[in-house]
Amino acid sequence: MKPRVLLLLILILISVLPFSLLNGQEKTKNYGNIPDELVAYDKYMKAYKYHFLEPIQFYGSGREKLPPADLKEIRIGFLGPLEGSVILPLGKQMLQGTMLAIEEANKKGGYKGIPYKLMIHNDVGLWGAAANEVVKMDDEKVWAFLGTIDDNNSHIALRATLKLEILNINTGDPDPTFTETNIPWGIRVIPDDRQSGYVLVDRVFKQDKHSRVAVIRANNRYGRVGILHFNRSATRVGYPIIIEERFSDGETDFKEQLERIKKTLPDAIVLWGNAKESALILKQIRDLGMKQPVYGSDRMVNPEFLEIAGPLAEGVVTTCQYNPDANDPKLKAFKVNYLKRFGQEPDVFAAHAYDGTNMLIEAIEKVGLNRVLIRDVLTDMKTFQGYQGVTGKVIFDATWNNIRPIFITEVTNGKFKFSPAPPLEKSEQIYKRPKSGDSY
Amino acid sequence: MVIILAGIALAGLILSKKPGHSEKNTKRDNLPAASDYQNSSDVDLPNSSGVIKEAKAMPVYGHWRNFTTKDGLPSDKAYTVRIDGDRVLVGTHDGLAVYENEKWHTYTTKDGLAHNGVVSVDVSELTGDVWIGTLGGLTRWSSGKFTTFNQFNSGLPNDLVYCVYCDGKDIWVATGGGAGHYDTQTGLWDIFTEQNAPMHEPWTYGVSAGGSKVYIAAWGGGVIEYDNKTKRFRDYTDPDGFMEIDLQPDDGVVHDITTATSYNDSILWVSTYFGMSRYDGKNWKGYFNTDSGLASNFINFLRAEGRVVFVCSDNGLSSTDGTTWVTYKKDDNSENGKAIITTGNEKKEIPLSPSISHNFIIGVDAKDDILWVATSKGVSRGELLK
Repeated sequence: MKPRVLLLLILILISVLPFSLLNGQEKTKNYGNIPDELVAYDKYMKAYKYHFLEPIQFYGSGREKLPPADLKEIRIGFLGPLEGSVILPLGKQMLQGTMLAIEEANKKGGYKGIPYKLMIHNDVGLWGAAANEVVKMDDEKVWAFLGTIDDNNSHIALRATLKLEILNINTGDPDPTFTETNIPWGIRVIPDDRQSGYVLVDRVFKQDKHSRVAVIRANNRYGRVGILHFNRSATRVGYPIIIEERFSDGETDFKEQLERIKKTLPDAIVLWGNAKESALILKQIRDLGMKQPVYGSDRMVNPEFLEIAGPLAEGVVTTCQYNPDANDPKLKAFKVNYLKRFGQEPDVFAAHAYDGTNMLIEAIEKVGLNRVLIRDVLTDMKTFQGYQGVTGKVIFDATWNNIRPIFITEVTNGKFKFSPAPPLEKSEQIYKRPKSGDSY
Repeated sequence: MVIILAGIALAGLILSKKPGHSEKNTKRDNLPAASDYQNSSDVDLPNSSGVIKEAKAMPVYGHWRNFTTKDGLPSDKAYTVRIDGDRVLVGTHDGLAVYENEKWHTYTTKDGLAHNGVVSVDVSELTGDVWIGTLGGLTRWSSGKFTTFNQFNSGLPNDLVYCVYCDGKDIWVATGGGAGHYDTQTGLWDIFTEQNAPMHEPWTYGVSAGGSKVYIAAWGGGVIEYDNKTKRFRDYTDPDGFMEIDLQPDDGVVHDITTATSYNDSILWVSTYFGMSRYDGKNWKGYFNTDSGLASNFINFLRAEGRVVFVCSDNGLSSTDGTTWVTYKKDDNSENGKAIITTGNEKKEIPLSPSISHNFIIGVDAKDDILWVATSKGVSRGELLK
């Protein structure tokens, strides 16, 4: 090799050597739709290792197993809050969405003439009940199961799926960490709170130009984990949350928390909790003479919120995982059939449960009755990538989390008005720091 | 800057050499041909081989015997294995299998087990009692009698017992609803959850003890340490606080979702689904499959014996003393496989015929010169190659 060529190679080597010293792996793209400016630590340093860039494989055995020859029914598990829970109405909707899909499949002949049967399990009970219910589903020989909503119960159930090797199709838990466990037996069809957090950061700070934001959230895992990415992202764009207050499920008097918030002189308030408590908080915010705009989480997109808040709901902005008013024939047919069957409008949990169940049925029809093969086809990033359900497309990231774009809603004339949420783009505005001495 | 200056200096050195003296890469391939070694199932490692240096530093096992349902196991899916004197206890999806005098015997709920899914087994050195963690409760097997502990008749935190560990008179369990401690002398239970211990959530998956401390692998909560002397807890979590990255190597446990702990020879080993960590009481060291001989970052379980830890990954069995690695892998389309010995950048392979029964490893135990492995498709017994 000529010396000059060698010298050139060495100079190239010098330019890339500092990066190659990272022995983990180089970042190739942002996991989970994280906007560039919100990637953890990215402004300061590269991480030694980035997880979730490629789907994890399941290397265990079981693909060769044949189903029993004398099956009378094809059992599908369901796990949800059906008794003794504050989110029971959400669980009921999720169950109904699943039931509708099962009933429609059975009308078409089930699986090779054998009917599907839903094995229904309540996830509320003694500590860790969800795990015990998954064990029961294994004993019942279900082929996969759907559910659930509560963050704790979803995680507890997910861990058991690895031991028992039953696929869990989650249709209602937006906890970002659910799919961040690396367990190759869980997928999620409902977009998560990461996406909600990024959309709200864009709306609150970039579009509506607020800078002093207060948070009041449910004092449970849904509230704690749900608000996490909003809070972190707010800090990263230069506007840390000025106060975070908490409330318990079932609480009705929020005066103490709101008076503390009022003293901080916020210019906007973000709520993160269930519809009922959020509506009561909104009313009490106004009772205290606070006129700040109010933003919130997807659980507020519920008739109960509008009913309790009344005219005060006007102008409230929230996120939503899909657009229930979309001009989609498939969605319209689902809404008509659901109303006819159950006598109520489907909510977000019903719609995603319907999609998740239909995906599972389609997977069984493609690969037959084998738990591992059902898992394989639903996670191969090809067969169901871009699946078009009534809630829109399913776009899996490498953790099988649905990262399709979500929607933003604004209460207008007493109704939720949906529009696509714009992606958060880098903007000088959101990085602009106040001049020294400025006060809010 | 140092790197750039060093590069420029190196370039200068090369330029100062006379042209026409290009050097061929004479470095020999580190991987020996399979024919360099005899079938390890037939003979032991050749003393003249260079591999013996690694073998001396690290035990290498061969002469594998595999057992499945065809040999008497109740299920091919084996969750756990424990050597108990002359017998071996194997937890499977369909019962507890006991291997004694070359024969398998199965115990199920009909015999008194809490549930047929046996996911963890430990033996009390104090009493000889066998403690069995199942998918539906905890069972004590003592003097031929099975006694079940569950959420309704005891202080067991949850019926799904992922791990049981005997530490003298104390029995520790990791369950889906918290960690539990049972004092066999007083008959009293303690339950540890996020309410009274520094756990993020009440979900625990592994537990072990050593050096007068107990180490709980907590889902999303890293490692929870309980000091038997002070009765106090402390936690070890990934310092970067993010699920999707490991910011700095060796800054703490590699991830908060931990799956098992094992303490031996003053070293705490911690497994996760994202890599493995080693803690010497002062410094943490992280291991990934990209920077070590680790078979895979997805680790179901680990167990340390002396200075060596055996690591059950989803794609092979690894063992290491922190420096040298021996990883066992079965070939995809045959019963054969290999042991891959890695030290730094050097890698050598020893063909094995047969190999371990499957690469999805769930449990392991070693005693004297014998290694038992529980896998997704059967159990394997290996002998130390001398």
